[in-house]
Amino acid sequence: MLKGKVALVTGSSRGIGRAIALRLAQEGADVVVNYFRRREAAEQTARDIEKLGVTAKVIRANVGDQEKLNEMFDTIASSFGRLDIFVSNAASGLPRSALDLDARVWEWTMDINARAFLLGAQRAAGLMEGRGGKIVAITSLGSKLVWPGYTAIGVSKATLEALVRYLAVELAPRDICVNAVSASFVPTEAGLAYAVGGGEEGEDASWRTTPAGRIVSPEDIAGVVAFLCSSDAFMIRGQVVTIDGGFSLASLSPKGKGGEN
Amino acid sequence: MSAAEETIKDIIVKIVHCDREILTSESTFQDMKADSLDMVQVLVALEDEFGIEIPDEEAQKFKNFGDFVSFVEARVAEKK
Repeated sequence: MLKGKVALVTGSSRGIGRAIALRLAQEGADVVVNYFRRREAAEQTARDIEKLGVTAKVIRANVGDQEKLNEMFDTIASSFGRLDIFVSNAASGLPRSALDLDARVWEWTMDINARAFLLGAQRAAGLMEGRGGKIVAITSLGSKLVWPGYTAIGVSKATLEALVRYLAVELAPRDICVNAVSASFVPTEAGLAYAVGGGEEGEDASWRTTPAGRIVSPEDIAGVVAFLCSSDAFMIRGQVVTIDGGFSLASLSPKGKGGEN
Repeated sequence: MSAAEETIKDIIVKIVHCDREILTSESTFQDMKADSLDMVQVLVALEDEFGIEIPDEEAQKFKNFGDFVSFVEARVAEKK
């Protein structure tokens, strides 16, 4: 389905990014595996991709650093001469309540989670010139729901989703489809470190309130990303597709004091 | 004092903005007044400088400056 296409998946050494990279490779795409901290895991992902009979290229870059982000796109341009699919998945953040969120943590989170998508999409659009392409951002329900300590990430994801809409309209005349995939809690290494309530408790809490009866897996997300990268999804533009097994429809309401404060 | 230790001190002072004099083997992150973002940035800078990988689960075990130095020196030695 994606044979001959070149895809970049940021943050694809592990977790959701790795699942997306492998799925796009299964569909026939050559994949650029971007990582920041986990070199060994990134190299393993690349080996697993190459077992599928396509090309993998590993590039280290902190996407929150504009210079490094640009160097990554320069390398893609010189190695492949093109890009067909850009999946903005890399994310970071530190647990802080809104009142404890200082400017440094705000900038770190926004730079990696939101600004990297804007700057990356600008570079990706250049490499898609004349052929069209697909851009997918990975977001989370924290853009709308409030989770303890998730302030900066939630706000960065809301920014990301708004950017998806603006880019979708602006890039539509170039046949570039821009969308986002949003998920509830996914039990990856990063997800577990951040889980509501912490660790297995968070996983358990999400599972209990998910109507579909299980929590979302990285492969669930990868499947929808692959669909959004297919020609069948050509008319889907600027949408945030939620993958949560119904979690956001059935969440328990927070308890207040009924106005007695 | 090793060359690696001096370089690690340079990196910590630059990122955490603490006094170089307080950095001894026993100095804790509380002594440095370093928060979790400082620590992430120090780890990344060390990885870049020494061309090594410092997994978060290993970094979480570091209690003081000496632990940083020992880990980095061990990884650098493995590379040679």
